[in-house]
Amino acid sequence: MRTGVFFCQTEDNSSLNIDAIAKYAANLPEVETVQILRLKPLPGINFICEQIKSNNLERIVLAGDIPGYYKPVFTKAVALTDGNTDEIRLASFQEHGTKGENAMDRAKAIVACATMGIPFPLAAVPGGNPVNHATLIIGGGIAGIQSALEIANAGKQVYLVEQTGTIGGHMAMFDKTFPTLDCAACILTPKMVTVGQHEMIRLLTRSNVVAVTGKPGSYRVKIRQKARFVDIKSCVACNQCTEVCPVKVKSEFDAGISLRKAIYIPFPQAVPNAYLVDETSCVNILSGGEKCGACVKKCPKECINLNETDKIIDIEVGNIILATGYEFLDVSKIEQYGYGIFPNVLTSIEFERLTNASGTTGGRIVTKSRVINKKTGKEEFIFSPEGMPPKSVALIHCVGSRNKKYNPYCSRVCCMYSLKFAHLIKEKVPNVNVYEFYIDMRAFGKGYEEFAERIKQEGTFVVRGHSASVAMRNEQMVVRGEDIFNDRLVEFYVDMVVLAVGLVPSRGTEEISRILGVQRDSDGWFSELDYNGSPTDTDKGGIYVAGMCQAPKDIPDTVAQASAVAAGVLGSFTSGKGIGHMSSLSLSEIESRAKKIHAI
Amino acid sequence: MAIRVNPTFIDELDRFGAEDVQLCYQCGDCSTVCPHADDVYKFPRKSMRSLQMGLEQKIETSLEPWLCYYCGQCSTQCPREADPGETMMSLRRWLISRYDFTGIARKFFKSRRTEVMTIFTVALLTGVFLIYYGFSGGSLSIYDGEGAFLPSQFIHKFDLTIGSILLIFLLANAFHMWYLIMVKGTSFYVPWWSYIKQFYQLPWHFFTQKRYSECEKKQEHPFFMPWFIHLGLMLGYVTMLVLVMVFIEQLQSGPDIRWSVHIFGYLATIGLVTGTVYFIRNRLKKNYVQYKKSHGTDWVFVVLLSIIVLTGIIQHIFHRTGLNELANITYVIHLMSVVPWLLRMPFSKWAHLIYRPLAMYFAEIRRDALARQEKMIQSVPVLIK
Repeated sequence: MRTGVFFCQTEDNSSLNIDAIAKYAANLPEVETVQILRLKPLPGINFICEQIKSNNLERIVLAGDIPGYYKPVFTKAVALTDGNTDEIRLASFQEHGTKGENAMDRAKAIVACATMGIPFPLAAVPGGNPVNHATLIIGGGIAGIQSALEIANAGKQVYLVEQTGTIGGHMAMFDKTFPTLDCAACILTPKMVTVGQHEMIRLLTRSNVVAVTGKPGSYRVKIRQKARFVDIKSCVACNQCTEVCPVKVKSEFDAGISLRKAIYIPFPQAVPNAYLVDETSCVNILSGGEKCGACVKKCPKECINLNETDKIIDIEVGNIILATGYEFLDVSKIEQYGYGIFPNVLTSIEFERLTNASGTTGGRIVTKSRVINKKTGKEEFIFSPEGMPPKSVALIHCVGSRNKKYNPYCSRVCCMYSLKFAHLIKEKVPNVNVYEFYIDMRAFGKGYEEFAERIKQEGTFVVRGHSASVAMRNEQMVVRGEDIFNDRLVEFYVDMVVLAVGLVPSRGTEEISRILGVQRDSDGWFSELDYNGSPTDTDKGGIYVAGMCQAPKDIPDTVAQASAVAAGVLGSFTSGKGIGHMSSLSLSEIESRAKKIHAI
Repeated sequence: MAIRVNPTFIDELDRFGAEDVQLCYQCGDCSTVCPHADDVYKFPRKSMRSLQMGLEQKIETSLEPWLCYYCGQCSTQCPREADPGETMMSLRRWLISRYDFTGIARKFFKSRRTEVMTIFTVALLTGVFLIYYGFSGGSLSIYDGEGAFLPSQFIHKFDLTIGSILLIFLLANAFHMWYLIMVKGTSFYVPWWSYIKQFYQLPWHFFTQKRYSECEKKQEHPFFMPWFIHLGLMLGYVTMLVLVMVFIEQLQSGPDIRWSVHIFGYLATIGLVTGTVYFIRNRLKKNYVQYKKSHGTDWVFVVLLSIIVLTGIIQHIFHRTGLNELANITYVIHLMSVVPWLLRMPFSKWAHLIYRPLAMYFAEIRRDALARQEKMIQSVPVLIK
């Protein structure tokens, strides 16, 4: 087939030398013409038609970072010259992961595959290595738990590494799941307990991956396990130590809206179900063992040892699954919403803990009450079960998301959880007005659109139009917005504002990517190998991504991806293939494979 | 009323400075933070939308661009960095060119070269004419009185001629504006007494620029700075215009200073100098959103104005110190820059001097009429069957 290769580069990619790739492409068989179009605007249709006619081209290859942008013009040109529009092949460098080491060879291979008309992922399959049948999972949220259970249930050893004192992650903090309004804990806690009791799962809480060496199929991993100061096996969670502990700090599990002690259990259903000591706030540890120590004396099982030290654990695994999750954008830097200034402006996770039946108010939705702090004498605003319920609540979508200054991407879950909040408020507080300010309602999943319709029918005022100002007028919060559908500017007096805060990669993501050498995208999330074709693989062999750490996604998608990862891992055990760094594949390997497929 | 869509309208506006309108995703943040947006006049989002949809006919009859004073809050807040503030500014430029029936303003806004060339040509013609006139009847060494190079009586007539040309164009454009907004763009009945009732709006907004001061409340500027300086510049300019048009003979006479006239001249000069220095400095430093993007015509505006002010001051000093030759030469240069400036006024940004107060006036009339309309609709019982 007479082929023409057109390089369409929107901007210069520093790691690629387009001229060299073009020279390589010119030497490929059946290639008639190679042209470099360094164009920002689309090339002229007449020019392309001329090229097709003069070279009598039958197949056109568009190569570049985003060649799809140019495809419509070429399709028109091919149609005008009575060619076969199916023979326009895209050689997308960005999609097939040409970055870092070996980028040039990979780009050449992509162009070579496209000229032969073979899908690149079909040709680029890394060779097999002997695989160690143990798996390391980093992150004990719902994604990590799901993957661990799938793999362990197949009879393979799993190491589950979790940074905090319990597994469960963010899902354990949630009250209800959308759109079914199932209780999140009812879905999660049985899975957590199974993980805790599974004979094939070794659970390492309070642990971090420090170093990874070795090659795909046999990674040697060094894990640092921080001291828990409480013996997991003998602790019976009797709560006597917490009663005597004098230290009070903000609870991480309650998103900072309630207080916990220095010796604590994150939540009653925690796995492992044992107490732990926060070394950053314990008086005894901070003073070098001189002060306090009340919990040690009180413990009836004598399982508290405040002199415990960190442990280093060395393990050997064949595959590594990244499930490091996400955290929330710091809203206090988005000034117009008054977070941190007005007491009743809450982030979504704070509201989630407020409305949760196991939360500090027992699930009552109330505004903050004013109390005088006895120690400092200053007035503070805290949640108490006796607080006043709000008369009206504003929910503001897209706080920090889809915003060029903060997160340019959509956080994907905010629309749905805000709708869920509207439902929960309507359900729990009588005669309440709920206002939803949204830009675009992204109800994209199964049953989501119906859920959104249901919320509208329940009497929530769904305002199409964002709000960018929360102000205080006469001790009353005022939210200003534009109701675009009804063509008016609106001002609502509200008692509580809930901000649907955007999501960002969790704090340790950068360090993990450095240790493992996994690429991250411009927003900080882990890069998958191919968004459509292999959304769970990374460019490093035997290292997979699952859940939010790849990109924002909801619980069903996270669970699905976690199971998909488990399938990939288990597949590697049975076939011995699918292991090897994608980026280490040499050009000749891909070429020879492509030729083989081409011959068939 | 059927509205014809102009799909290339947004590309045309690109030449007037609105480059990022396509980025807007209609969140309404800009309208929310705008201190001037109210229930009748909602902007900038609606204007952005009309622009995206190519509703040229709707925009040419809209008042919203004139109600915006570009404090820049919308542009700071915009999550898409679509720059609604600059879009409103560009719409004002486009409207100036739309009100102008000759099509000259449009050429000026679209091509800086045409504008600069025209200014140079007019300046050159003025210079040649003045020098010819000066040498034909007078001497370079005499500034005023008998045998002067440019006698004040002649300058008075010259000024009045230029002024009447300016006035004809301005009035015609203002009439066109009235036609577009109040006749073509207002589909409901406007009672004539509204025109009389709201007439006070015209001088009120012309001399105080009240809305501009409201705009700055939330800004970081101390003492309402831009409003104060803008007001000073405008008042200085108008005072100078009146002095030149009416009192030029008293102004030009004798080396000694006539305080009864000159005091106004000095005050006006202070306003003009502070204004030009402040705005040139801001446009160069780009500290505030509203000065970040400068259209070509903005630069022509401030540069020409500063030349006029500078030559005027120098000429005044030369004349009062008795250096008549130098005074005459600078006078010619001064007039060479003044004439194109004045002739350019109806076709340039400076026309907003007239359009803004007119727009406030029309806005109030339209608001009155709209309220009356709504009252009428409410009072008429609706027959269902």
